[in-house]
Amino acid sequence: MPDRSQAPLIKGIDQLKLPEPQKILLGNGVPMYILSMGRQEVCKLEIVFRAGRPYEHKQLVARATSALLREGTAHYTGRVIAEEMDYHGCSLKTPFNIDVTTITLYVVNKHLDKVLPMLAEVISAPSFPEKELRSFIQRNQQRLQIDLSKSDVLAYRKITELIFGEQHPYGYNSFAETYSLLQQEDLFQHFRRLHTSGNAVVFLSGKVDQDMIRRIDDTLSNAIKEGPTAEPWVPEINAQPQRLNISQKDSLQTAVRIGRRLFNRHHPDYAGGYVLNNLLGGYFGSRLMTNIRERHGYTYNIYSLVDPMVYDGGLYIGTEVSNEAVEDTLRQIHIELDRMRTELVSEEELEMVRNYTMGYLLSLLDGVFSMAEVIKTLYLDGLSVSFIDQLSEVIRNISAEELRELAQRYLRREDLWEVVVGPNV
Amino acid sequence: MVNYSKFVLDNGLRVVIHPDDSTPMVAVNILYNVGARDESPDKTGLAHLFEHLMFGGSENIEDFDDPIQRAGGENNAFTNNDITNFYDIIPAQNLEVALWLESDRMLSLSFDEQVLDVQRKVVIEEFKESCLNQPYGDVWHHIADMAYKVHPYQWPTIGKVPKHVEDATMDDVKDFYRKFYNPNNAILTLAGNVSVEKGRELVEKWFGDIPPGITPTRTLPQEPPQKKLQQRINQAKVPVDALYLAFHSPGRSEADFYVSDLLSDILGNGSSARLYRKLLKEQQIVNQIDCYVTGSMDPGLFIIEARPAEGHTLEEVEKLIWAELELIRNELVSERELQKLKNKIESTLLFSEMSVLNKAMNLAFFELLGDAGIINEEAQMYHRISREEVRDMARKIFTPENCNELYYKVSQATA
Repeated sequence: MPDRSQAPLIKGIDQLKLPEPQKILLGNGVPMYILSMGRQEVCKLEIVFRAGRPYEHKQLVARATSALLREGTAHYTGRVIAEEMDYHGCSLKTPFNIDVTTITLYVVNKHLDKVLPMLAEVISAPSFPEKELRSFIQRNQQRLQIDLSKSDVLAYRKITELIFGEQHPYGYNSFAETYSLLQQEDLFQHFRRLHTSGNAVVFLSGKVDQDMIRRIDDTLSNAIKEGPTAEPWVPEINAQPQRLNISQKDSLQTAVRIGRRLFNRHHPDYAGGYVLNNLLGGYFGSRLMTNIRERHGYTYNIYSLVDPMVYDGGLYIGTEVSNEAVEDTLRQIHIELDRMRTELVSEEELEMVRNYTMGYLLSLLDGVFSMAEVIKTLYLDGLSVSFIDQLSEVIRNISAEELRELAQRYLRREDLWEVVVGPNV
Repeated sequence: MVNYSKFVLDNGLRVVIHPDDSTPMVAVNILYNVGARDESPDKTGLAHLFEHLMFGGSENIEDFDDPIQRAGGENNAFTNNDITNFYDIIPAQNLEVALWLESDRMLSLSFDEQVLDVQRKVVIEEFKESCLNQPYGDVWHHIADMAYKVHPYQWPTIGKVPKHVEDATMDDVKDFYRKFYNPNNAILTLAGNVSVEKGRELVEKWFGDIPPGITPTRTLPQEPPQKKLQQRINQAKVPVDALYLAFHSPGRSEADFYVSDLLSDILGNGSSARLYRKLLKEQQIVNQIDCYVTGSMDPGLFIIEARPAEGHTLEEVEKLIWAELELIRNELVSERELQKLKNKIESTLLFSEMSVLNKAMNLAFFELLGDAGIINEEAQMYHRISREEVRDMARKIFTPENCNELYYKVSQATA
């Protein structure tokens, strides 16, 4: 019979290995990073353009351009593209990201040849049909209408707008009118200016061989047009922190968002800030979760997160709480922030957050597609795989004093914005 | 192909181990064969509330999450109508920590009044966050209530009303634990960087001495065939109208479940699916349309949901959906269309084999269905389906008598 009173010995994680991808230059000079691993005969091909919000000449055009890439090209209608991709068991997606536009193809290797010509058209010759654009606008306006009835959405929109500014690429919000202003020509301009070799990076991962690489090279070298590298537009920010209450009558819960500008991954405090955030609200055992949910039962969920973007970053605390508990929730959040600034974290808690964070990184590096995701994020940010080594170095060695110092630098009450949306505010 | 080894401990715990050394992690999954369908109608939401209590500490462990986080792991759980499923993903070198934790809460949970009190509140906030305070959030309350008159699928997992959760007593939860949380009512799977021998040794060590309970018998009233169209109009504070059609369809353990699933793919999965193409793209009379099967153990539901585009009515949308349903009832799908769906399913299954957590959960679920080995037979089951079977399934399901029609409308008072 096992001795249940003793926990099995916990072994630390000191090996985190993100393999270096192979880099080649396509015929047109576009870099392609390749991670060849895995057992299943499948791969993921991602063509990324630096064509997100910081590069827009008109609000929402990045999103619209990316959404319409699959909806028709010089030779294929949207229907034919959808049909062929599905027929070959592929998935062609254009997921939204604030900084970049991505065309992602998941494909079973044996079908790669059959879909490459169509992928080439999606990349090189989208036709942005007027009818599809109108329909995109109409669908998104309706989705927006539904989103705006949710208090958490209202709170998130407001706080990012306040922190970054309502014209800033990271701060502006979509409105029905912003959608209405989109014209077909805006999409063509955005596409011609930005979906070019000077702004492109390609990532290939999965069980890939030299022959596949060669065929992908042939396809993309022709499909991605030559063009210069564009400059982003990221205006100066000098907003002062403020508190704002928005009344939403009949809401059964109150949404709370507290946040501030932080930094991107290049900042010397990024790694420390990453650990600090986990301690505060980044995992189930965090201070906020333990206090607001597990001790008081005010909410189903409370979190804090660091949101690094290419040119800036943010830190947010978010929760939906019982209307009766709003005041005390705010008080308790500030008590936790005060503790972070004034008290030293115990060795025991520090060890837990360290180990949890290392385990989390390990799980991020689980499987070839997950690794490729991390590689993509780092390389698009001008970093390399050694970033993971530096990050894990900090996680393993950061001291209680350093964490308190970071809290004193980044979690001061006077630097925090606060938005509360609910019936009694 | 997912290789695995399975065995049963003396206390009745069924164990499945799938070694995969391409990952540094191990996924530990414990499925308890109990869900919302096992609740009594006046105490709904108990299975889900109980899932929360499982994290509140056990005889030798004050807090479940603490050691797992310390070991670099993550854990969570979900409850549905049929099962309560717990899982941990942990670095392989710390696998034993997860087994220690899981076995301790299976052996002897602490029943702390304070924990129960807090978790009741947490679950009520979850009830608000996921159902009551979300546009269309209570739609499952309506659909389940319309479609099931006698079967306990008539309430959603979260519970019929928050009051049931508020009223749950310590006696209720203790009874629930005694009745359902026994090794002979559970399936444990390990998937990841562990050998069968090592996994077996550790499982025997930590779970071997847990005494079995009385195997619960399940005698649920089966839902009689629906005889006539059910209609409901619900007015609520939502920004736009929405339409829901729910048809009775085969349960997960029935042979023709796969046909109904394939049928839902033809109509609603992906951007080349029929309803999406026709109603959203060509006619542009909806802004959103989805189609799926619930996949429950007992006979489930085939759901079609849609939101009309501006200027179009629910009646109009419904008429065009029925036209598509008529089409598939009357005309065989083409060989090519059927092949497309099969190719798609084949690749979905291939991609799903890349995640150990997926594999751990699926192995447990298939073992509950009767055999973990189904995981390797699914592709074949879809592959065998003929055009005629698809048409016959459409004929069986898509009749007005078998349909529950919910109009979810913008309330006039608040519009």
